[in-house]
Amino acid sequence: MIVARRSEVVGRIVPVVLAIGLSLLLFALTGFDVGAIVDGIVEGSLTGDGALANTVRWTIPLVVIGLGVGLSLRAGEFNIGGQGQFLVGSLMAVWVGLRWDLPTVAAVVVGMVVATVAGALWSGVAGVLKVAIGADEVIVTLMLNFIAIQLVSWVTTGPLRDPLTSGDAASTARLDESLRLQSSGQFSVVLIFLTLVLAIATWLLVDRTKFGWSLSATGANPRSAEWWGLPVRRLRLATYLLAGAFAGLAGAFEVFGPSGRVATGATPTVGFTSLVVATVGSLTVFGTIWAGLVFGALQSAVLFLPIVTDLPPSGLRIIEGLVALLITAQFALVLRRRTTRGDDLTAVDRERPDVSVGDGAPGSELGD
Amino acid sequence: MAEFVASMLRSGVPIALAGVGVLFAVRAGIFHLGLEGLMLSSAFVAVAVGRGTDSIWLAVGGALLASAILSVLYWWLIEHLGADAVIAGLGLTTLSVGGTAFFLDVIFDVRGRIDSRVALPRPVRGADDGIGAYVTELSILGWLTIPLVVVAWVVLRRTRFGLRLSAVGSFSYGARAAGVDEPRVRLAAMLCASVGAALAGVEIALGGLSAFSENMTAGRGFIALAAALFGLLHPFGTGLAALFFGSAAAIGVVTQINSIDSVPRPFILMIPFLVTIAAVSFSSIARRRAIERRSRAGLA
Repeated sequence: MIVARRSEVVGRIVPVVLAIGLSLLLFALTGFDVGAIVDGIVEGSLTGDGALANTVRWTIPLVVIGLGVGLSLRAGEFNIGGQGQFLVGSLMAVWVGLRWDLPTVAAVVVGMVVATVAGALWSGVAGVLKVAIGADEVIVTLMLNFIAIQLVSWVTTGPLRDPLTSGDAASTARLDESLRLQSSGQFSVVLIFLTLVLAIATWLLVDRTKFGWSLSATGANPRSAEWWGLPVRRLRLATYLLAGAFAGLAGAFEVFGPSGRVATGATPTVGFTSLVVATVGSLTVFGTIWAGLVFGALQSAVLFLPIVTDLPPSGLRIIEGLVALLITAQFALVLRRRTTRGDDLTAVDRERPDVSVGDGAPGSELGD
Repeated sequence: MAEFVASMLRSGVPIALAGVGVLFAVRAGIFHLGLEGLMLSSAFVAVAVGRGTDSIWLAVGGALLASAILSVLYWWLIEHLGADAVIAGLGLTTLSVGGTAFFLDVIFDVRGRIDSRVALPRPVRGADDGIGAYVTELSILGWLTIPLVVVAWVVLRRTRFGLRLSAVGSFSYGARAAGVDEPRVRLAAMLCASVGAALAGVEIALGGLSAFSENMTAGRGFIALAAALFGLLHPFGTGLAALFFGSAAAIGVVTQINSIDSVPRPFILMIPFLVTIAAVSFSSIARRRAIERRSRAGLA
């Protein structure tokens, strides 16, 4: 499915508009000049000097990670470790770039491959634990994010430290200019091209292969997928490896592209935002790109906003949080509430979480 | 040794409070990922109200109220609009991260950190020898943790509400057939979780440091959720799990106090998260074993 149905598109746009509207209302009530903020958002993401390039710069990681997250969610796996996989990928890329001493083109290619593999393995930890013993992937991937953040703080203060930086501003040394596919304020043709290739490949995979169809079948109803003889466990594991590979590659894009290094404090929270992007995009390729552009524009605008208004940067987190809070809500249900409610509408009836506490479950043996 | 035990208890208290609260929600079938956000918002509201009123009671009350309001919103989105508990919960957490930083800037005109003017009392402060050294840093909420765990156990095991709660989570159709008002039971479970989260947030902000700093919960809400799972959704088990996670965090505190630097500090700070992964894996193996035992006995 490359595009979602129209009713679904409307269902996804309403929460985003609502979230942005509520945020602007909050900003207005707390004494900020909403007109200036809106002008600032437009100028910082579209019309300003280099603003569009900056929007694209932020859209690329969001779309690349978001495509992988979409594959996971499609198969019913809540792999929310995009941030950790992204960080591990960028660490590997910076390591290859700084220390492997390869010729220019080889360094970039090898760096991307190593980052992709590292991201896949990082995500694979959660995948193996989930598939083999049923460990909850939400918690495991979240914990892997926190571990990756510590890894970054080790690498930037230890092995690859730039001696001129320290503490909260610690960072690795910068890659040589010859390894960079993009400097700030520019479009990077290579990265845009690679992102589009990934998007098309994902679309073909999801829409035109048996693998993609099996993923959706598994996500829609794992039990019947198993009865049909689909290798459900292997499919699930594959989504972890793929999502991790995408996120790791996005990390390499970041390092060889706009940032050129890995820094402790300045790490953008692309992991969570790309989860929002994938969800807003209804897990479709086309939707993910559109949603990526919207959130890329917001990210770009937030870095510009301090110039025109004193709105704190946490304003963007409020918008993102509200979007995530509202995006899966079906607002049509508000109108239909008075009529009968089908059983399928209560999200809490779903299989997750897998916790039985009836007779004989471990819970009842502990204390009584 | 005293150092280690003292910091294990102190690190374990917020995890136990939030974990015992959230197990009500998980038992009712809601995978409550908003817990981290509730804790952070409560911590902020406690510090903010404390600064405004100089009253520890109003600070705690404000935190409880804020946590309850956010919980009702979260419940309403899940219950009536069919929102996904995981994604909406992460949204609630992000909203809290952004919202607390935003209001810190708007109300107090600072970024990063603000000191509190009130703190939780420490009943045995100053007892530095023998057993006293272990507990001298424990706030009143630390002392109340064990009674609260017992209360949670009594409510779950010995009241009509507790039994209905477990029925709603584990056998929804049966509960409905028995005439249980499921939405209300889930709302009550969410409010129980909100109390635990609020107390945990207050403990984090006012128990030791007496300050609020941006994102100060630092993943402890998620660890509390893991503690509930590791404790096999039993209050006593969750309490013990919290103590276990507390000891993982205490390693970091003790090595810092004694400036042991043979291992780079980031690796020590990773320990609680690694331990959490191990614990979640272990509890899922245990759960599977129990289910297998049941099916072998012909019960499932």
